[in-house]
Amino acid sequence: MPTLIVCEDANPNSPDCIYTGELIVPCAHIHPESSVVQLGSNFTAVCVLKEKCMDDYHVTANDIFWKTGRVPVPYEQYSVINRTASSVTFPNITLINALLTCNIRMFGQINRSVYGIRIISGLPPEKPKNLSCIVNEGKKMMCQWDPGRETYLETNYTLKSEWATEKFDDCKAKRDTPTSCTVDYPPVYFVNIEVWVEAENALGKVTSDHINFDPVDKVKLNPPHILSVNSSKELSSILKLTWTDSRFKSFITLKYDIQYRTKDASTWNQVPPEDTSSTRSSFTVQDLKPFTEYVFRIRCMKEDGKGYWSDWSEEASGITYEDRPSKAPNFWYKIEPSHAHGTRSIQLKWKTLPPFEANGKILDYEVTLTKWKSHSQNYTVKDTKLTVNLTNDRYVATLTARNLVGKSDASVLTIPAWDFQATHPITDLKAFPKDNVLWVEWTAPNESVNRYILEWCVLSDKSPCIPDWQQEDGTVHRTYLRGNLVESKCYLITVTPVYDDGPGSPKHIKAYLKQAAPSRGPTVRTKKVGKNEAVLEWDHLPIDVQNGFIRNYTIFYRTVIGNEIAVNVDSSHTEYTLSSLTSDTLYMVRMAAYTDEGGKDGPEFTFTTPKFAQGEIEAIVVPVCLAFLLTTLLGVLFCFNKRDLIKKHIWPNVPDPSKSHIAQWSPHTPPRHFNSKDQMYPDGNFTDVSVVEIEANDKKPFPEDLKSLDLFKKEKVNTEGHSSGIGGSSCMSSSRPSISSSDENESAQNTSSTVQYSTVVHSGYRHQVPSVQVFSRSESTQPLLDSEERPEDLQLVDNVDGSDGILPRQRYFKQNCSQHETSPDISHFERSQQVSSVNEEDFVRLKQQQISDHISQPYGSGKMKMFQEVPAVDAFGPGIEGQVERFETVGMEDAVDEGMPKSYLPQTVRRGGYMPQ
Amino acid sequence: MGAQRMQRTLLSLVLRLLLLCTVATGKCSGKYHELLLQLQRQADLMQDPSTLLDPYIHLQGLHSPVLQEHCRERPGDFPSEDALWRLSRQDFLQTLNTTLGLILRMLSALQQDLPEAAHQQAEMNVRGFGNNIHCMAQLLRGSSDPKAAEPTQPGPGPTPLPPTPPSSTFQRKLRNCGFLRGYHRFMRTAGQVLRGWGERQGRSRRHSPCRALKRGARRTQPFPEIRRLAPRGQPPGSLWGAPAR
Repeated sequence: MPTLIVCEDANPNSPDCIYTGELIVPCAHIHPESSVVQLGSNFTAVCVLKEKCMDDYHVTANDIFWKTGRVPVPYEQYSVINRTASSVTFPNITLINALLTCNIRMFGQINRSVYGIRIISGLPPEKPKNLSCIVNEGKKMMCQWDPGRETYLETNYTLKSEWATEKFDDCKAKRDTPTSCTVDYPPVYFVNIEVWVEAENALGKVTSDHINFDPVDKVKLNPPHILSVNSSKELSSILKLTWTDSRFKSFITLKYDIQYRTKDASTWNQVPPEDTSSTRSSFTVQDLKPFTEYVFRIRCMKEDGKGYWSDWSEEASGITYEDRPSKAPNFWYKIEPSHAHGTRSIQLKWKTLPPFEANGKILDYEVTLTKWKSHSQNYTVKDTKLTVNLTNDRYVATLTARNLVGKSDASVLTIPAWDFQATHPITDLKAFPKDNVLWVEWTAPNESVNRYILEWCVLSDKSPCIPDWQQEDGTVHRTYLRGNLVESKCYLITVTPVYDDGPGSPKHIKAYLKQAAPSRGPTVRTKKVGKNEAVLEWDHLPIDVQNGFIRNYTIFYRTVIGNEIAVNVDSSHTEYTLSSLTSDTLYMVRMAAYTDEGGKDGPEFTFTTPKFAQGEIEAIVVPVCLAFLLTTLLGVLFCFNKRDLIKKHIWPNVPDPSKSHIAQWSPHTPPRHFNSKDQMYPDGNFTDVSVVEIEANDKKPFPEDLKSLDLFKKEKVNTEGHSSGIGGSSCMSSSRPSISSSDENESAQNTSSTVQYSTVVHSGYRHQVPSVQVFSRSESTQPLLDSEERPEDLQLVDNVDGSDGILPRQRYFKQNCSQHETSPDISHFERSQQVSSVNEEDFVRLKQQQISDHISQPYGSGKMKMFQEVPAVDAFGPGIEGQVERFETVGMEDAVDEGMPKSYLPQTVRRGGYMPQ
Repeated sequence: MGAQRMQRTLLSLVLRLLLLCTVATGKCSGKYHELLLQLQRQADLMQDPSTLLDPYIHLQGLHSPVLQEHCRERPGDFPSEDALWRLSRQDFLQTLNTTLGLILRMLSALQQDLPEAAHQQAEMNVRGFGNNIHCMAQLLRGSSDPKAAEPTQPGPGPTPLPPTPPSSTFQRKLRNCGFLRGYHRFMRTAGQVLRGWGERQGRSRRHSPCRALKRGARRTQPFPEIRRLAPRGQPPGSLWGAPAR
């Protein structure tokens, strides 16, 4: 068919046409017009231009070019035949379905399509093969064939048929089913017909081989219809099957195919073909099981085997008649706890016979219990268990099942005496799943075993073990559990051999029908976390979530940024130590438990390793502290050893002029004083000692300084614990009286580098309002002169005790509180006087000794001493005034000597007025 | 030399005989027994009243016993059994051919009175039977079966003619019913005759067609009666040559 290219939009510039204003006139035509080309062949097309176009557009064959679709054909495939014709050749055509156009180039630049044909490539049909026909009874004949290779072209298949005397109408295969066709005339049996197929497309026509046959040899009969399945009361192993089948059996011989199965079976049993090779309408099937429902089906075909089997008939079923039970029931017992003495509660239990052994409906069971040399007890039970109370003797139990036809053989069970010792267990007990059942295998004992009892139950933490059981013959050593076992449950299986005299020792094993991954993983936690290691612990998974045998655990741990590390741990462990951890790092750890079928992760647990190991801090801190203490101690010792040097540079002794007085030098100082001194300081460290002797006269009162000392002691009793004098606060002895005797003052002056003056505020003792402010503090470190203070002191004294005419002329500011309590004994007093002129260092040593001596005394006793001294001071009363006046004189002299270089020695000594003798 | 030539001739004849016994003649089966068996079974199939008479009675409401009493074959519609038995094979085949033509005409007339499937199947069966008769005749024609050339008995009696139109519809139904009953009876008789062919063939195997072929075939015009019996308005030979509808 030529293809005219037209301009649908009348566009003069369209490349596919030439627009003439009114009509579309092809400028050329292509030969050949046929466009179907065989695959692999060469194809040549010739485009012939019309003279008018050539004249109008000034073109020749040289201006022709070809396109397939919109793709230009290479010029190498062109051939200019003459002025008007150009050809193009396509060698070895491949699969194609494209538009081939002849184009011209006008005026050297305008391209136009002037004609086109569609090229379709394909293959001629192959000779159809394997032509066969089938005649479904009551329907028309259908034939089918193999069309061969793909032609890529529209190919028509026609089924032709004829008799010797006439031809039938063609049967044209439909497009969607080009490989079969059903004729439209009814089949005529016993008349040979010849059939063949013609396949035709644009590239050719081919005919299949002719087949000649009698349609009856291609028939597929309708399936027989089973009328009945009848049992026989006389014979419980047969069923008679009757049916109707095709009317063809009047004309041809048929053969049958009969199959049967029990109702619950899936596989069919076959009646021997030779028994059903002739036309018939009934058949008796033998060797069937009693009281069993069988299902039958039947099909038929021509006896000579020509044609096809019919479809299977609809299934029909029948039940064979009953027979006596063919086997004794499985029989076992269980001893239940009994409270009665001398008896046992025995539960006898047995299994219902399966239908193929019951051979009918079991009406009841008969149980007989026989004690040794005793009469029997008979029971008729409809249930499958019987509980009886038996003595502790040995019993023999028998069991029979009864149906409509008769009784089964007896099943015998020996119930041993209570003291029977079970022995001879089986060995090598194994349990394993296979083919979706749980197999149990064991090695039989050497003794002859009557039978085996297999018991099993599901192990669970939530429910008790409720056993199921089954019985196996004594020859069996491998069987499977015939219960409704479920997957992922742990079964505890017990195998007990049964001997003539009773049961043997049972053996146990655990098994799974099918394992699965655990339902959940173990929960891991830390037991102990160290700097570089952590001890993990976990609990075994409960049996209900294990779903299988836990083969191993895997611990996964990682840091926040690190890779995960897995460690496999044996399933028997519940603890594992992770080592080589990094200190002060957060770790995430989880644990998976694995069965044979997979694993399950537990929850993730995090822990942080400490920065230091246990004891590491102590190992650092303790030495550091010790070193610090040692250093401090060394420093203290150093300071102590070098205290003179330190004192000299930092804390020079400043004598308190106010405490200076003019000692009464006695030229007749008995030498015993020195002896006494020697006794006190036997080491002879004293050098340049000035001794002030105070003459002790019984008639004369104490010197003035001692009087003043006594007065202070009185005040001290009143202000004890409330003074905050310089010595008290600075020397951590605030709770002690800050008043000391004169010798203390002097010693304090000798050991203090600075002298501070303060006002001692009498706040009262124990909520007693102080009567007067005795001292006022001054921040000045300038030593006060007695002359500067005296007027105020006098005034204060007047205010304090106006009735008392005796006023202390001197107030001692305690600078060194190392001596809080002044011993009133004379020896002490004398020693103090001697110390005033000795070496300062020795004096400090002496003071410390005194301190230590004094501290060793009970504090209370010291106080008591002071209180006891008060009357003694009072007793000196008449001589005090004179002493005071003498002190005043000394004080006046100090004031006069103010312009002299300061010395802390008594001025009299420095001036040489009074030199010790 | 003469003996050798004779032996060669005999060998050639035997080979030709064997070849002729197995080679099909056109689309027909070349096996006599097979063809005969087909004819017998066809006859058995067609004699079954359930294929044609019963559907007709059921469709026309003639299934009451009283009416069925009147549904009887009219004498003369079909050749009698005795007549058929007396015919030679060729004549028997010719008679069958003639009768089948008559049946086809009748079936054509009964097209509206029969279930379409039953009518179509019956017509195809008749045509197929005629095809086998043709094949058997062709096969016999190529043989020198003495039985095939035994026109010793007179013809089957009056030439069966299409039944004349009855006066009333009911009468026509009864007439057609009787005709169909006769048809089935005729086919049963034909089957018996054909079975007789097989029995006689078994008893005298010397008269087998293949052996007769060695003596040369007697050329006979196959079923000229069919043309003679062709219904008016139907071109001769259309019984066998018309394409199936």
